[in-house]
Amino acid sequence: MKNNKGYNLIILFCLCFLAVANVNAQSDWQAPAEENEKLSPFLFDDDMVLEGRVAYENSCTSCHGTPGQDDFTPMSPPPGDPGAEAFQAQSDGSIFYKIKMGRGTMPKFEDAFADDELWNIVAYIRSFNEDYKQELPNMEGVVIPEYAMRLSFDENVDKLVVKIFAEEVPQPEVSVSAYVMGTFGKHLLGKAQTNELGIAYVDVDPTLPGDEEGKINVMVKATKGFARAKLQQDLAMAKPTERHSAIEGRHIWSTDRMAPIWLKITFFVSVFGVWFALLFIVFGLRNIKKAREEA
Amino acid sequence: MNMANKNDKSRRSFLQKLGIAGASTVAGSALLLQGCSDSNKASGNKVKVLTADNKLVEVDVAHLKPGDKIQDLSYLQKRGREGIPGKKFVMVVDLAKCKNARKCMKACQSAHQLKPEMHHLNVLEMEDPVKKTSYWMPKTCQHCDNPPCVSVCPVDATFKRQDGIVLIDNERCIGCRFCVAACPYSARTFNWTEPKNSDKMADVTYDMELNVPQKKGTVTKCAFSADQLRHGKLPYCVSACPNGVYYFGDQNEDLVTNGTTKKTVRLSHLLEENAAYTLMPELGTKPSVYYLPPRESEG
Repeated sequence: MKNNKGYNLIILFCLCFLAVANVNAQSDWQAPAEENEKLSPFLFDDDMVLEGRVAYENSCTSCHGTPGQDDFTPMSPPPGDPGAEAFQAQSDGSIFYKIKMGRGTMPKFEDAFADDELWNIVAYIRSFNEDYKQELPNMEGVVIPEYAMRLSFDENVDKLVVKIFAEEVPQPEVSVSAYVMGTFGKHLLGKAQTNELGIAYVDVDPTLPGDEEGKINVMVKATKGFARAKLQQDLAMAKPTERHSAIEGRHIWSTDRMAPIWLKITFFVSVFGVWFALLFIVFGLRNIKKAREEA
Repeated sequence: MNMANKNDKSRRSFLQKLGIAGASTVAGSALLLQGCSDSNKASGNKVKVLTADNKLVEVDVAHLKPGDKIQDLSYLQKRGREGIPGKKFVMVVDLAKCKNARKCMKACQSAHQLKPEMHHLNVLEMEDPVKKTSYWMPKTCQHCDNPPCVSVCPVDATFKRQDGIVLIDNERCIGCRFCVAACPYSARTFNWTEPKNSDKMADVTYDMELNVPQKKGTVTKCAFSADQLRHGKLPYCVSACPNGVYYFGDQNEDLVTNGTTKKTVRLSHLLEENAAYTLMPELGTKPSVYYLPPRESEG
């Protein structure tokens, strides 16, 4: 009896410990101080909220549920409701960092979303907080250059060449990320920085299939500080591939509509051939009978 | 005289019979030929529409573009049969990540008007009797490149499209269930009873890409959410998964996108690096669904 009591106490203790550990595991996650203070370079507007909503619904709803509805998936540690007070108490930089880097069951979205897309999600999450006032970085005296981008492909080394200018002056140390646009998402080709000539090189896998001419839709983003530029264009840098229909030249089902023309011709020639032969015999017999009657 | 009359009579009746025989032959072959020709003519019904530059024009119903005719059955039927050119859709299921959350099944059942006991997609528990371990395996239609279900359908109700998707047209389905018997993956299910919410769905135009409204006495199965793909969206199950199990994409592009993380990776690399396999490859059905092996776990 005494022993039983002891066991119960141990189990109770373990359960309490687990519960506390669970809560701790969630609240323990602190973004590095520098990241924590990071501010969005964009003013959160309706467009950002709308784009963020699409991204959120595609990538976050399955675990976090709809913000404010408290309908997140029961997991350990709990993912939490982004509309909840505890969640909203975090700084913009902290939310941004946690989405970007992930931890444990929270996936890392660094490769899936570019920084501006991550800020869209933060804007969407903030739209559930009525008391939220966006803190903007001090932009006084800061001149944001406007980037112009030129893309080309160097066949000899299989590299995408990105040239970045601002008013015809090459821009060094600009972070460049290049993506191939797929049907359902964008595939990261690579990231690079421009050199002193304003040129960045990104490796391209020559086995990547393109269209008949080897063209592929590429999207390049360039960022440095608050300056950013985006360019999407078709470039002939992939393997030329002919696309075939999955049913081309095949007749895998049993209706005449899909039957090949040679089969249709053979069918009708043989049907009419048999009819002709039968009629020929019948008429022949009839003629013989008639001849006999006349004779 | 008598003889001549008799002869006349028999000639007349012979000509009559020949005429009937000839007419019936012509009519019969015309019917056969009609079956062969794919009629793609204007329907004759004209409607007035406003163009983008504010001009009122009269067009034939058959020439209207998507959006205008989303409620038109013949348009939906034609669109469903043709598929999306230049695509070949594939799915990759990462068994190591499946934790039986069953969100995919719920999303599928609500999209396709299915009762809880009916599955286009089912998460099965696979047991290894030797190692005494088990893993979860989501199983859907494999959208085979050599689909046995399509070959056995006597009425062309189930068919394969140019983008690789195998669909069912329940307007044609006669409920013979040959396809259910032919499918080695047991991917098909039958509407034995009135479908869920059938009274509410009565006025909805049938879209074979969604296979809704479901009809009692017809076969139904996974459609790779062809209605979603048309709008560049991932299938219902793929985007509902919280664990990153599903990848979906276009084999022609060699890119697949994970439904949870939205990360897009090279299909060929993913399959090669993870020792991907297909179900029952020995049957030569060439499935479009690939599986990445489950984690080796101790029993």
